[in-house]
Order: sequence, then C-alpha cells, then structure tokens
Amino acid sequence: MQGSRAAQFELYKLYAKAMYNVALRILNYEEEAEDVLQEAFLDAFTRIVDFRQETTFGLWLKQIVINKSINYLRKRKFEFVGTDEIAEIPDEAIADDYDIQLQADEIRKAITELPDGYRVVLSLYLLEGYDHEEISHILKISENTSRTQYMRAKKKLKSILESKGMRDE
Amino acid sequence: MNNRLETFVKENRKSFDVLEPSAGLWAKIEQELDSKKKKKPVNLYLWISAAASIVIVLGLTWLYVGSMRNRDIEIADVNAAIAKKEIHFAGLITEKRDSLAIFASANPDLYKKFTSDLKKLDEDYERLKAELPTTPNQLYVVKAMVKNRELQLQLLKQQLMIINQVDDYKRVNQI
Repeated sequence: MQGSRAAQFELYKLYAKAMYNVALRILNYEEEAEDVLQEAFLDAFTRIVDFRQETTFGLWLKQIVINKSINYLRKRKFEFVGTDEIAEIPDEAIADDYDIQLQADEIRKAITELPDGYRVVLSLYLLEGYDHEEISHILKISENTSRTQYMRAKKKLKSILESKGMRDE
Repeated sequence: MNNRLETFVKENRKSFDVLEPSAGLWAKIEQELDSKKKKKPVNLYLWISAAASIVIVLGLTWLYVGSMRNRDIEIADVNAAIAKKEIHFAGLITEKRDSLAIFASANPDLYKKFTSDLKKLDEDYERLKAELPTTPNQLYVVKAMVKNRELQLQLLKQQLMIINQVDDYKRVNQI
C-alpha cells in the first residue's frame, strides 16, 4: 500500500524544492525547514492511503508542510497577533507604487527580514495563494486580523525594499 | 496600482522558489521509511509466533491432561477394599526389600538372583497397571495386581528366610 520506493523518489524530486521554500518562508531557518520537509514527506508516504483525490498530491503535501511549519513556529512561543512593529512606518507608504524596479530576489530577501507574523501572513497570501479566510483557519486568527497583518506586512516590505534600493544606488 | 506587488509575484512566482534542501535529505527520508517498513513485518511475525505458541501450549496441556486422566485410573477407582489391601502389601514389600538389601553386600550373587526374580514379578505388575485403563474387566485386572503384590511379598519372605539361613551358616563356619 505504501507504493514503490522509485515512485516515492519521483514525488520527492517533483515537490521537494517547492515545499522546502514554503517551509523556509514560514520558518526562516534552514534546519527547521529541512526537518519539516522530512517529516512532511514521511507523513505523506505513510498516510498516502488517506489521500483521497479531492485535491492534488501537491496541494495535500503543501497543507502538511504548512501545518507542520506553523507548529514549529508556535513552539518558539510565537504569537500571531503582535501589532507593535508598524508604528514607525509612515502613512504615505501605503500606496503600492514602487519607485524602484521590483526584483524577485530582492523581494525574497526582504521577506526574510519581516517579523514572523508579517512574514507568515504575507507568504501564505502572496506566494502560497491562500485567501484571508483560509489563512484565518490555518493560523487560527480572525479574517480581519489576517487582512490587517497582510496590509502592514506589505507596508513594511516596501519600506525594507526602498531602504535597500537607496543603499544600492 | 495597488496590486503591483501581487501582479509581479504572480508573474514571477517561480523565481521565489530558488533555495534547495540539502542533498542528503532524501537519504534520511529513505532511511526512516526503511525502518518503518521493517518494523511492521517484525511485529506481524511476533504476533503470529505468539499466537502459535499459545496454541501449542494449549494443545500440549490438553494432551497432557487427557493422558493423565487415562493413566490416573488407580486401583482405588475400581475397588476401594482391594486398593487398601494393595497399599498394605506395597508397604510390606518395601520393608522386606529394605531388609533384603542389608544382606546384599554379604551375599552379592544370591541378592542378584533374588532381585531378578522380583523384577519379573514387578514387570508383570506394571503390565497389568498399563492394561487397567483400557481393559473391559477392570476388577479382574485389579485382583490380578493385588495377587501379584501378594506373590512378591511371599517371595520376599522366602528370600529373606533363605538369605538369613545362608548368612547364619556363613557365620558359623567362620567361627
């Protein structure tokens, strides 16, 4: 029932990299992300019998990875409702028009500099494609909190990008 | 303009998944999968052997109890009076045998002959005892067993008498 080793390796090759990046965006630590990845694949392979094809294997695996990552994050005594960090961001930065050229690598690095709560909500919404309702279920916060956290995360991200752009020029 | 970031990320989604897990990770996962796979057959094997040994133990007990029941038919089960007699004889036989054994060292040849005679009777007795559970006429067999004991006793008495006389004779001659 567990499937052949070759098939398991094919699945691993197909999904490992994407899943690793998902875990890494949430956790921000490579070692923890690898632990999550290992546990998630083991879980997926041993529970593959439970996998009903209502969804794709990739989405199912991604759910496992995200849930495990969030659990790891919670072990660090992290709370998703912190709101202190935005105080220093000026209001005029709300607009989404960037003066600098957007670059994937710059954005990716800037995301790692976000505080945990911002980073997780922004990653789930912007990169993993969950809407605020889904995020509220995953993180056990209200939909409204998810929305405001996301807005603040975006503001913060922009300010990080702009300060970097200034430094680069 | 408010979703420039979202649009950009959507268009360049792949550029965000650039980091790679370490190369040895699959080996670790494979190792865990192997240890998990190995555990299951071992457990199954354990359960089967445990169940098998319980069956074997039960079977052996059943056989043992069954054979004990067959073997357990004693004279007392057939006739209590005869059994009492038999026990009385058996006690006397042991007593006489002990007395006979005292003379054994002085008259080894004679003792050897006597015991071989007794042995024959004893074998007859054991044969009767073995027949007892299956015989159609148990009373008959039981009576034969007691008769055998009686014969043994009489034989022993005579043997003791002879051996006593031989012993006396030897002593007298020595003096």
